Amino acid sequence: MRILLVEDDIPLAKALQRSLQVEGFVVNHVNRGKLALNALSTPDQDMIILDLGLPDMDGLEVLKQLRNQKSSLPVIILTARDSIDSKVKGLDYGADDYLVKPFEIQELMARLRVIERRLGTANSSLICVGNVKLDTFAHKVLVGEGNIDNEIEIHFSKKEFMVLKALMENAGRILSREQIESKLYHWGEEVLSNAVEVHIHKLRKSLPDKFIQNVRGVGYIINNAN
Amino acid sequence: MSIRRYLVLTLFSVLTLITFIAAIQGYKVSMSRAEKQFDQQLLDIAHTLLAVQATALQTANPTNIDNTNKPHQVANVPQQGSFAFQVWKNDKLVIKSNNSPDHLIVSSVLFENQLSYFSEVNFLEKRWRVLSIFNETIAQATPTIRVIVAQPFQTQFSLAQDLILAAVTPMIIAIAILSFLIYIIITHGLKPLRQLTTELGVRNANDFSSLNLQANNTELSDIIITLNQLFSRLDSAFQRERHFAEDAAHELKTPLSVVKINVHNITQDLSERLSSENKLVTSREILRFDSIKELASSVDRMGHVIDQILNLNRTNTAQIEHSSTRFNLNSLLQQVIADLYSDIMKKEQTIVLESDEIDLFAHEFSVHLLAVNLISNANKYTPIGGKIKVTVKLIDEDKGHAKVVLSVEDSGVGIDPQEYKRIFDRFYRVGGDQHNSTALGCGLGLTIVKHIADMHEAKIELSTSTLLQGLKVDVYFKDIQEDKERGDD
Repeated sequence: MRILLVEDDIPLAKALQRSLQVEGFVVNHVNRGKLALNALSTPDQDMIILDLGLPDMDGLEVLKQLRNQKSSLPVIILTARDSIDSKVKGLDYGADDYLVKPFEIQELMARLRVIERRLGTANSSLICVGNVKLDTFAHKVLVGEGNIDNEIEIHFSKKEFMVLKALMENAGRILSREQIESKLYHWGEEVLSNAVEVHIHKLRKSLPDKFIQNVRGVGYIINNAN
Repeated sequence: MSIRRYLVLTLFSVLTLITFIAAIQGYKVSMSRAEKQFDQQLLDIAHTLLAVQATALQTANPTNIDNTNKPHQVANVPQQGSFAFQVWKNDKLVIKSNNSPDHLIVSSVLFENQLSYFSEVNFLEKRWRVLSIFNETIAQATPTIRVIVAQPFQTQFSLAQDLILAAVTPMIIAIAILSFLIYIIITHGLKPLRQLTTELGVRNANDFSSLNLQANNTELSDIIITLNQLFSRLDSAFQRERHFAEDAAHELKTPLSVVKINVHNITQDLSERLSSENKLVTSREILRFDSIKELASSVDRMGHVIDQILNLNRTNTAQIEHSSTRFNLNSLLQQVIADLYSDIMKKEQTIVLESDEIDLFAHEFSVHLLAVNLISNANKYTPIGGKIKVTVKLIDEDKGHAKVVLSVEDSGVGIDPQEYKRIFDRFYRVGGDQHNSTALGCGLGLTIVKHIADMHEAKIELSTSTLLQGLKVDVYFKDIQEDKERGDD
């Protein structure tokens, strides 16, 4: 996957470029908003990592102009601005994710991988957490039992699959019931109040014990450590 | 008391008082003038009567004069007016008005030596102003003629009063009209001031734009100019301060990110080398690998301190824009717990959120910060496998004063009640230097919590959790009602 890194701080850009390259990403780096917009005029990029505090123009402005050109290029904002306001603004302007400096590199990688899978540019469409494999392309769920060769395919309904996919993509992060609902249903679609609970209940029956955990009052999580 | 009311009331009272005094003075003067006038009238009538009587005596036949034994005939003059009079000749009543008595009105002793004499006498159930005069007895032969003229006081008074009232009535009407005019003029004159008050009243606390008011008088335009200057200076001061915080955040966090990424890169490099050149790894290199861990945790710690210091700066009341909103406390807490969950998971703790759908009217970022600090404190000071419980309740303490209580309790060791007061101090950590150094902290967390609570006039209570045996922190937020909210907004 080709990433356009827009960051004016050279040491940070260099270090980040190196880490990303190690993970197998192709990184182009620009340090000005104008240059970023120029680079984006050609369809060479798969996604953007965008700093907001650029010397020539605000990163949000870059994002705005990009979205005005009807581009749906995924954008991850990487910034030192940590107020709720600027976060909401960034997401409102059409950013896919918002990371606050100093960030955990693993966190960035995890989010990049979610985008990668969504774009279909990943080497594999498999999401693996523990001994559960989810094929986002073939809509299959495989659960390994004991050794790796012994895998059983489990059939889930479409909605159940989507719940599991959402949780596995965000492994290590809690998703609230509302967040899961928003991934399942369109605006205005009637949602039964316990729909998510029902889906989770069914998923749990077929998946390993404690694979999907409930954080009471908060939401559901699939731990990375599994 | 408003200036307008003060001015109107004061002017009205002063005006009334002075007019009243003037009226009384006028009344007094008019009365004495009227009295003099009436006395003059009495005098004139008396003199006329006297002159007529004296002339009648001279022209009369002297023989008739001696005819004193003849039965005395009294001329009774009918009187339409208010005057009463008697004419006495040598102590005999000659002429009298029909409204006067037959006896002498005044006692004779009093006016022995005087030619004319004024007095006040009661007769015929009235009080009269009485004048009596004599003719000058030059020769012994001429008889003494005494004329007494009287006028009732009542007539005098009513006449004088009528006059005075006629003069005073326009003044009373004038007071009413003047008061009304004063009220209108003052209201109009103070209109710019009232506009300024309304303009300032509806203004947001964080609105420092200049006043858009036209004042035609110098006093108010000076005030507006001064206010506008003050506003712009305040505005730029706040802007500078905010920018400073933002710049500092950026300047501190970016290099920190660089260090962090490079730690990651070095670790990666090293592990690569370790795996490929397995046999060449020396113990020194392993040691360095450990020091990288130290480095990573130090960077984290530094990042945490920078965050907390910036947060503390941001929670200063001056820095907080009074931009409170109504938000769902439950989803805010869900977000906070989700953000902190990796730390909670690392320590294999269980966290439970018990919250109704409660909306809180407050500064969202601050409350977020408060929750982050409380929950991450619970996470840090609760041992592995411990429990954390976050509760939100709406309680009705006294009538109409509902409060939203946010409680965070844990199964940690808790804090000695003797330390409760000190833990809110800046950079204070329980146990001082012997503090459990594995916990990432700088002693600012609860200071920030306290700041935010103070800012929202919320009350913090510390206790030992009855449920989990660790520390329990309760934050009591006021549940601000909608109508007040609009005023604050």
